Amino acid sequence: MAQSVKPISSPVPDAWYPTLAVFMLAIGLVVTASFFIYEATSSRRHRSLAKELITGAVASVFLGFGSLFLLLASGVYV
Amino acid sequence: MFVQPKREKEIKPSQERQQRNTSLQQLGPKNILPLGYKCPRWPIFSPYSFSLKTPRSTLEQSRRDSRVRQTGERRDDDAMEAPQSSLRSALVFSFIAIAYLSLLVRSATLSSPELQILNAERRIDLTSHIIRVYLTLKVENTGAAPASEIFLAFPPAQVDHLAIVKAAATFGKKKKKSYLPLDVNPTDLPDAPNGAKCFSISLVSPLKTGESVTLEVLYILSHSLEPFPIEISQSESQLVYYHDSAIILSPYHIKHQTTFIKTSSPKVESFTRVEPSDRVGTELKYGPYEDRHSYSFSPIIVHFENNNPFAVVEELVREVEISHWGSLQVTERYKLVHAGARHKGVFSRLEYQHRPQFSGVSSFKHLLATLPPKVHSVYYRDEIGNISSSHLRTNSKKSELEIEPRYPLFGGWKATFVIGYGLPLQDFLFESPDGRRYLNFSFGCPLAETVVDKLTIKVVLPEGSKNPSAVVPFAVDQRIETSFSYLDVVGRTVVVLEKENVVPEHNSPFQVYYNFNPIFMVAEPLMLASVFFFFFIACVTYLHMDISIRK
Repeated sequence: MAQSVKPISSPVPDAWYPTLAVFMLAIGLVVTASFFIYEATSSRRHRSLAKELITGAVASVFLGFGSLFLLLASGVYV
Repeated sequence: MFVQPKREKEIKPSQERQQRNTSLQQLGPKNILPLGYKCPRWPIFSPYSFSLKTPRSTLEQSRRDSRVRQTGERRDDDAMEAPQSSLRSALVFSFIAIAYLSLLVRSATLSSPELQILNAERRIDLTSHIIRVYLTLKVENTGAAPASEIFLAFPPAQVDHLAIVKAAATFGKKKKKSYLPLDVNPTDLPDAPNGAKCFSISLVSPLKTGESVTLEVLYILSHSLEPFPIEISQSESQLVYYHDSAIILSPYHIKHQTTFIKTSSPKVESFTRVEPSDRVGTELKYGPYEDRHSYSFSPIIVHFENNNPFAVVEELVREVEISHWGSLQVTERYKLVHAGARHKGVFSRLEYQHRPQFSGVSSFKHLLATLPPKVHSVYYRDEIGNISSSHLRTNSKKSELEIEPRYPLFGGWKATFVIGYGLPLQDFLFESPDGRRYLNFSFGCPLAETVVDKLTIKVVLPEGSKNPSAVVPFAVDQRIETSFSYLDVVGRTVVVLEKENVVPEHNSPFQVYYNFNPIFMVAEPLMLASVFFFFFIACVTYLHMDISIRK
């Protein structure tokens, strides 16, 4: 019985939480910035909806995971 | 009702028993039961259930007295009262008939194994406010059928306060003793007199005829020391009563028995003397007593000093929150009370601090909580705020949290507080071979030497857990609830376990099993990502919309 039980821990090691939070949020904010720059610089006729949506999706994924690791690193174990 | 002795003068139960035995002989007990039937459970022969016979014996006595007064000499009973003797013999015959019929019925329904206890030794430990009784019984099977169960009896006053009953069979002698734990279950023996409650110990292999087995039983009583005087002032010491019986209450005939009582201090005000009894320092000895019938009971009271902290937690709610991202958060809410002699008069802080050996000897101000090792983020607060008078000492085996409430607790005083701490997940959450996950945690209160009147443990499982079930080594009440916490959509299932009368011996691990698909862990970051994506979609929509009036 004791040999076959294996302890369950988090899929991502605990010690990485703060590092992961910072890097993911940084990348997410850079992609958000690129999204808004594209919106501001392109004219209405040359805007491509697909590029906007893809940039938005990538930015939201990075920002989502980054904010999750930020919550975990600060002690709110969700 | 068990006979309660008067407290002003000492009782001599041996003299009472002699009087009762002589009255029994006058009635002719040999006529009541068929010859040769040795019944360990027939209540007529036990000394305290004499209510069946006293009306008749007193009636005879008064009749005899009146005749002595009238005639001045003793006359033979039968010659004087012919009509009453025939009525009496008819009653005796009907009694014999009923007894024989009931015996036949009983022997037809179950072939009761005749057991007797050769040697019984009982050690009662009264040093703390939790009473521990160690019983060593050597049981022999004298009947025809093999016995698979051994019964223990307890008086009704003790059964309400019984916290735990454990039994083990011992093999070998002295150094080479080995213990085999046995199951103990409460049962109902229909012929137990005066409301005595019984427990049955299930033996691993049935006891054959002529064989004997040695059992060790431990049972723990809480709230059984009655403070007397009920109210004391700050400078007095606490004295308590302990009610029990000098003779061990048992459904079987006991050939040889001794009881040792260990008190907490050598100051014993009084104790009931049931010859032979003796007292040396902190130890009282009742016995040895020979050949006592089943269900014999001889009430005793011991009045002694006990200044041990009577720490009782009225209500404890422990919440264990599991987060699969790596931590276990435990929050415990306590309602602590001092359950000893109530404090009367004023509380003088000067006297309390100036002369601690005379003032407040029965009060306590420190409590020790034993927590698992690798504990972090421990907090101790109450309604007002954080309580800073606490110390945490950790080592590799356990952590000790020593807390001091805001004031020392005297009799009847209460304190309410919250203790919380975090633990690493990998020490407590495991995967079982069939794929289910389970939490292995310890039941019971972390505070040392405290009785908990009502303990509730809530295990909060993460969102997406299915089929929760709890495995606990003793009887608890279980139910399922739902609670909402961070980033919850459907709510988290909570397994609630409740138990009353919990003592430190209940600190054993229990498991909560549940099914969890690891894909549900991604739901939380995806929820956050979808919120951000909704924001981007809103931006795109706003920028694509043309709301200008002029074309």
